[in-house]
Amino acid sequence: MALIIDQQLVSEDSWQRVDEETLTREGDRLVPLALWQASRDALSAQSGRLGLLIDGSVDLEEIAEELPRFALVAVHFPSFADGRGFSLARLLRERYGFAGQVRAVGEVSRDRLEYMRRCGFDAFEVPDARYAPELVSAFGEISTLYQGAVDEPRPIYRR
Amino acid sequence: MYAYTELDQKLVDERVEQYRDQTRRYLAGEIPEDEFRVLRLMNGLYIQRQAPMLRIGVPYGVISSEQLRALAEISRKYDKGYAHFTTRQNVQLNWPKLEEVPDILADLARVQMHAIQTSGSCIRSVACDHLAGIVADEVEDPRPYAEIIRQWATLHPEFAYLPRKFKIAITGSRQDRAATQVHDIGVHLVRNATGEVGFEILVGGGLGRTPMIGKVIRPYLAKEDLLSYLEAILRVYNLLGRRDNKYKARIKILVDALGIDAFRNKVEAEWERIKAGPLKLPQAEIERVQASFQPPAYAAEAAEDSSYAQKLAAEREFAVWIERNTFAHKQPGYRAVTIALKDYLKAPGDITDAQLDAVADLADRYSFGLARSTHEQNLVLPDVAQADLFPLWQELSALGLARPVVGTLNDMICCPGLDFCSLANAETLSVARQVQERFTDLDYLYDLGEMQLKMSGCINACAHHHVGHIGILGVDKKGESYYQFTLGGSSREDASLGKVLGKSIPLAQVAATLEKLLEVFVEQRQEDERFLDTVRRIGLDPFKERVYGTDN
Repeated sequence: MALIIDQQLVSEDSWQRVDEETLTREGDRLVPLALWQASRDALSAQSGRLGLLIDGSVDLEEIAEELPRFALVAVHFPSFADGRGFSLARLLRERYGFAGQVRAVGEVSRDRLEYMRRCGFDAFEVPDARYAPELVSAFGEISTLYQGAVDEPRPIYRR
Repeated sequence: MYAYTELDQKLVDERVEQYRDQTRRYLAGEIPEDEFRVLRLMNGLYIQRQAPMLRIGVPYGVISSEQLRALAEISRKYDKGYAHFTTRQNVQLNWPKLEEVPDILADLARVQMHAIQTSGSCIRSVACDHLAGIVADEVEDPRPYAEIIRQWATLHPEFAYLPRKFKIAITGSRQDRAATQVHDIGVHLVRNATGEVGFEILVGGGLGRTPMIGKVIRPYLAKEDLLSYLEAILRVYNLLGRRDNKYKARIKILVDALGIDAFRNKVEAEWERIKAGPLKLPQAEIERVQASFQPPAYAAEAAEDSSYAQKLAAEREFAVWIERNTFAHKQPGYRAVTIALKDYLKAPGDITDAQLDAVADLADRYSFGLARSTHEQNLVLPDVAQADLFPLWQELSALGLARPVVGTLNDMICCPGLDFCSLANAETLSVARQVQERFTDLDYLYDLGEMQLKMSGCINACAHHHVGHIGILGVDKKGESYYQFTLGGSSREDASLGKVLGKSIPLAQVAATLEKLLEVFVEQRQEDERFLDTVRRIGLDPFKERVYGTDN
């Protein structure tokens, strides 16, 4: 898995996924939403940072209050065609002011990176089979941006 | 027409290079098939029955002579010397090679054209009245707003992977020539109680497997709120639209499932939170775009020409063409002229490279260098001085583009069907020829009055058969093409969905069936009723009886 943060390949990732079996692990733990909701106390009791793993079915209003507890929100993209994560990232940043890392996981490949970045993702987990160093040239490939988004909130007519 | 800035040009140029690289990586095996499919669709490229098909955007139907010439040249260089105008006012090439598409797109970009988002699960198009800026009863010209919406939608990073395709239509006239009530979002320019101009917004219209008429989500929206409101609708759809079943994924399904009131509540809750933000549309931006759509330099004395009236009186065929194929213009001394792409036995909407070059030339000489495409698969020269109408008619006639059939049975909308399209279940082009061969008596067609015949080769309804006065849907019955008739549809301001007549009809009997339907109409009509009015008044039973007899 290649991890890109702020448009650069990074070699180390402190975050580890947890499931029911690894609930008591310590360190930076990425927890699926359902598991978090079932085992908040146990997870909070361990040392290390918490990250939340969500997917397109989440209702952000339901988790809004808890967001400050997480240093990371990972949004899972189940397929190349699924676009819900774009709205979710944008809302996390613009509506809920989430300032931690927002990471795209799942079906993440070169040709959606720039839209993801514009929507507020600052980290991308790219499967090894889809990674090449040239991948980062996807960022900024199209320099004219009509719409405002997380990277630049003003639409073109306001700049 | 909208004048590209440096930034607009950069966008299309950079998009070409992006797609060129995607094509290279795909051919090198670096992009999986299903991913490249999504990417190429967002650049208008289908892989079709016989060859790839490229859908080029003609935003809200406005096209310049330079662009028409470029299309002619592209059709020669990369294709088989012709192009096809669609029911979304776009234009298609039927024979490009996949590996040459980046070059085609580069040639298009040079004349400010592109194929961006003309397919795919994204915002595909903003359709517009082909008589925008011409008809007298417009509240305002909708084209500047179509351009503003287009830019907002183009490469929108949040809405490129919607549950399904998304189409918007806008009109400024009470007469709806843009089929706004069967679009995902329909926009009407309206005045409120204090006379201010704003928008009525409709949502959830569409055709296909589950045809629906759009519902009013907001009767009045101030101009400055246009983009934030659309953004709210799209965000709700992006998050809540179904993704489990591609036939249940359009916004109309979501609106129908929630009910319009609950859907509105969700949209307006979202809108409340963004409407004061940077999406608020400044008047300065509206004016900037409107500046590109000012009326051309009309000749003030155009109406004083006397040759037009003389020709009308002296040349019967010319007079017929004026009545059938031209429209009154709000500017005295001018008319809008339909170039009918409905020549005898030719595929509706097709145009050859020579015709494209000729139309470009005619646009330059007679219509300030501009033309329009209509969703009825015709072209329009919008601003023709009356003194020029006769010479124009003569030239169009020589080109096979003056068949005086606009608004008649032979102005049918017809999709390419089984001959070309991998989605089709039935032939359409051979049926179109059959109909044309049967109905050659123009006087008879004129006597029938306004007739909208629409024929689709499959349930995807690209020819909008649900909203034809007579709709024909091609179906496959045990490997043979059969045709299901619907009556009483309309895509206009009196929008309605056609009702099925009965069992589907074999290919060889389509024209004969049409004849029977028209017989009943002629027998039953009252006064100046259109076919549509008669159907609405008497219902389908008299038509059923005539076509099927007593067994149905």
